[in-house]
Amino acid sequence: MTVDVNAPYRQRVSQALQDDSLRTALDRATARLSERRAEAVAAIDSARLRDEARAIRQSAIEDLPRLLEQLESNLIGNGCAVHWARDAAEATSIVLEIARRNEVLHVVKSKSMVTEEIGLNEALEENGIEVVETDLGEYIIQLANEPPSHIIAPVIHKRVEDISELFHRELGMPPTDDPAEMCGAARGILRAEFLRADIGISGCNFAIAETGTICVITNEGNGRMVTSMPRVYVAVAGIEKVVSTAEEAILLWQAASRNATGQDVSVYFSMSSGPRHPGHADGPEEMHVVLLDNGRSRMLERAYGDAALCIRCGACINVCPVYREIGGHAYGRTPYNGPIGAVITPLLADDPTTVRDLPFASSLCGACRDVCPVKIDLPRLLLDLRSDMTTQGASPKLERMAIRAYARSMERPACYRLLQRLARLVGQLPLRLPFMKDWTRTRDLPPLASKSFLETWGEE
Amino acid sequence: MSNRTTEARAEILDRLSRVLDKASPLFRGTSDLRMPEIPMTVTRSEGDSRDLARLFASKLAATGGSCEIARQQAEVSERILERMRTWKADGVDAGEILSWAPRELPIPGIEDDLERVGISLFVPDDLQDEPVRMRAASAVVGLTSAAAAFASTGSVVLTSAPGKSRAASLLPLHHLVLLPTSRLYPTFEAWLKELRRGNRLGDLWRSNAQIVFVTGPSKSADIELSLTLGVHGPRVVHTILFDDNP
Repeated sequence: MTVDVNAPYRQRVSQALQDDSLRTALDRATARLSERRAEAVAAIDSARLRDEARAIRQSAIEDLPRLLEQLESNLIGNGCAVHWARDAAEATSIVLEIARRNEVLHVVKSKSMVTEEIGLNEALEENGIEVVETDLGEYIIQLANEPPSHIIAPVIHKRVEDISELFHRELGMPPTDDPAEMCGAARGILRAEFLRADIGISGCNFAIAETGTICVITNEGNGRMVTSMPRVYVAVAGIEKVVSTAEEAILLWQAASRNATGQDVSVYFSMSSGPRHPGHADGPEEMHVVLLDNGRSRMLERAYGDAALCIRCGACINVCPVYREIGGHAYGRTPYNGPIGAVITPLLADDPTTVRDLPFASSLCGACRDVCPVKIDLPRLLLDLRSDMTTQGASPKLERMAIRAYARSMERPACYRLLQRLARLVGQLPLRLPFMKDWTRTRDLPPLASKSFLETWGEE
Repeated sequence: MSNRTTEARAEILDRLSRVLDKASPLFRGTSDLRMPEIPMTVTRSEGDSRDLARLFASKLAATGGSCEIARQQAEVSERILERMRTWKADGVDAGEILSWAPRELPIPGIEDDLERVGISLFVPDDLQDEPVRMRAASAVVGLTSAAAAFASTGSVVLTSAPGKSRAASLLPLHHLVLLPTSRLYPTFEAWLKELRRGNRLGDLWRSNAQIVFVTGPSKSADIELSLTLGVHGPRVVHTILFDDNP
């Protein structure tokens, strides 16, 4: 891995910018995903789909407590166990407890950002439980011991030759540049894991309150395996994932599919409502749903409800000029990257000062806002977050001092003129100003004009 | 529920209710959107049942699957046998098909027709039973029907019930679907509307442990966006659509 997700922000970005193969991989993939998306939304009444998707998500968030209680009671009625977790620690300990009670040693997982968010794999592994990621992309990065770098395409940062080398090193597979061959090898290995695993764990794309149903979107079929083959199935769902009806979930599924990969719909849409019934040949004997807050209610408290509408399609990531340059790992130890990640990572963080750089990782060009299927005004949220961080004193001290000094000088015209002249004098000197070094490291500071605008005006 | 999760539940719901009771807006963007009475129909599909069948076949083909259309039910058995011969020529030799129970398949007598050419149906009763699991896992062909199908996307709906294993449409590399045209709807939304009108939607969802929509073969584009079929599920999804209208 060339980008160390645990390094400070500036270091991560500069590592990413120096990595040419990363940019090759990103350029190839993001452009194609964006093109496919554009075609898929042009084929339908996408303006109406966006309005309806937004309205559906927004009305669900406005009715969250009632829908969550309805979801819970229907899940229980269907035979599921429902657990509530305020934070990551509670959620992981609930899953651990389920694993312990079932004497579980092997877990298979389908791709889920929420379990990355709570560090579930690490918690299980620390307790001697083997966790296998089964999405092909997630399996590859698990082999490489890296976090995912994109919400829907976790291994987007790797070229086919990088993956071939990894399979050769980790699995002893002869080097190949044929993705189908690598995929075949993974199918064989993962099939055995599906058949022997004791627990399947998934995230949740949508939870249907009216019927008590957990919906999982996959193309590979690992979502079906994880929810059907092991004896116990655990779904971890953010509390914002709930919608009212099946019709709404099916509309959002279509919006997510078109915007994520440009498909009309994903290959599989698995809707699990409970454990197997008597006489069923397969399906889990136990089904658990963990409803997770972990900063989501605080997001609403701070009036950032827009961020809770996200359906995780990744369209904003693919069009982002900043993401296209630096990739997902430059956003640090978070499964959420790109424009939406720069918004929700600080909102979900216990200590936002640790991720205070993220809202600044954007040029505010607005491409993300234009593609979002639920019309999240991402540039506005990024600006609001920047402003919050400044008022909370999270901005650099020097910047605050400078702004204060500037404000004071503006109040006294004589003082302002004097400082202006002084600045011009200093500006003529061939100095690299130490307090400007962050700016001048990658850019040239333009020289100041020898006369101020007012002086020139006076002469004309 | 343990004490801690009860406590967590109360705290989360309390906090949410407090936030939502406040007059201040939750959202910063567009907020005067009206909820649709009925969600829009996203995809398009027009014409009579013959048009629907053709659209279904072309949409399924676009996802990498395939479909043949039989004029009547009586043809279906012969078409299955023909399909099995084609696959056998390609090296897919199924002496045993992982199948739904014959009563769940829309072709009467299918079991006997297959038996005559030396192919038996294996209907698993419990995949938690190790020998059953291993036998199911070694199948190369799976045979099912579907509860409904949609022309505008080439999708089918699989429900779970006794005699209708999930494994049959998931474990083998080849999935054969027998589909009467009476179950073919123009769109998802047309089917949902019919269920809703008949007050059957909630029951259908709750009474099936799982409902899955399947649109073509299993696929991945995780390795540099190059498309690979048959990642975890079937690589080949073939549907035989037949007219069952009297």
